[in-house]
Amino acid sequence: MPSLKDIKTQINSVGSTKKITSAMKMVAASKLRRSQEKAEAARPYSSRLEEMLASLASSAASGEGIIKLLTGTSNDQNYIVVPVSADRGLCGGFNSSINRETFKLVKSLESDGKNVQLIPVGKKSRDFFNRVMKDQIVESFVDLNISNSGYESALKVSNKLQELYFDSKFDKCIIVFNKFKSAISQEVTQQQLIPLDVSDSSEEENVDTTATKAIYDYEPDEETILKDLLPKNVSIQIFKVLLESDAGEHGARMAAMDNATRNAGEMIDSLTLKYNRTRQAFITKELIEIISGAESV
Amino acid sequence: MATISFDLVSPENLIFNDEVGMIIVPGKDGDFGVLPGHSKVMSSLRPGRVMVYGEDKNLLKAFFVSGGFAEVNPEKCIVLAESVDEINSIEKSLIEKEIQKLEEQETDISKEQLNIAKAKIDALEYNYYEKI
Repeated sequence: MPSLKDIKTQINSVGSTKKITSAMKMVAASKLRRSQEKAEAARPYSSRLEEMLASLASSAASGEGIIKLLTGTSNDQNYIVVPVSADRGLCGGFNSSINRETFKLVKSLESDGKNVQLIPVGKKSRDFFNRVMKDQIVESFVDLNISNSGYESALKVSNKLQELYFDSKFDKCIIVFNKFKSAISQEVTQQQLIPLDVSDSSEEENVDTTATKAIYDYEPDEETILKDLLPKNVSIQIFKVLLESDAGEHGARMAAMDNATRNAGEMIDSLTLKYNRTRQAFITKELIEIISGAESV
Repeated sequence: MATISFDLVSPENLIFNDEVGMIIVPGKDGDFGVLPGHSKVMSSLRPGRVMVYGEDKNLLKAFFVSGGFAEVNPEKCIVLAESVDEINSIEKSLIEKEIQKLEEQETDISKEQLNIAKAKIDALEYNYYEKI
């Protein structure tokens, strides 16, 4: 039977853990609000860009150079997969679900006979893939700090990707990230980044865009604009993904810490009960000893 | 007098969103003014000044954009810019220092940044379009 003092120390240590987790929850909650605002602020730009692109994309013929971002390399042998995780842990299944999903994706692509390379973003996925698929990592990005440095850090990733693409190092790029659904739920999502997948976002508007396309004047001309627009779109997509993932991370951490705080509370309750019972048992035992002592005299 | 709605958007946020009288945009092939009822145009931009005027053609705001796109239709003008600074908030000495630093490098990226920084200085010094 543990002594009273042991239980008391245990209660205290769980109590201080509870304090830490509830503080972390508060921090995550306020960070979540900020990164949600950021994600919200970035939305007008990316939606406008998508609209412009949708109305231009239909006019693109297959060709060389930058247009390849849209039309593809007419090959699909070499893949690059970009898992986006957090830099820090203690956020529930946030990082492990990304790693698991990416791992599955890579394995299934490989079983189809494709070559797959990885560009992990975030410490947690870098560390994971460093252990399991070290030779397939081309480059990794950590400490991007999206909420402070913003668009610049998305540019770093996007520039690297485009450099590799135009060196014909890969044909398709898929990004795996946690899509922010609500403060407590994230959804692991795969998105094809290169070549651009215009079909899903603009299918309904297709009728609409062909109608507007005929009326627009282009300055200097459609092709030049498209050539400017496509690389920018890749950066913006990455920026959006990084922001969503950042918001998701804080949401996941908030939920995880909320759980931890609740569990600590339950543990303290049960320990307190145990403490009181043990104390009672000691008192009873002592009373019995005194009484039996008195009887024998 | 009619107005046209004008949005200036950077990747990080929506910078300007209001009804205005006229906007001058630095198109790739030259500056163009946008008045209410402008025909539909899509243009890419060069580094330069975006000037925003009120209904009676008084200058409301002047921005520097480092490039981007403009989409114009009769009711609305949208400028998507990579980076945006309000002209008044640009510190000339800081830009000059940046230019010096960039001139020492010889990469493609630094050349591009150098062009933008030089355009920024030009934008500070030019004063046409301020009264029309």
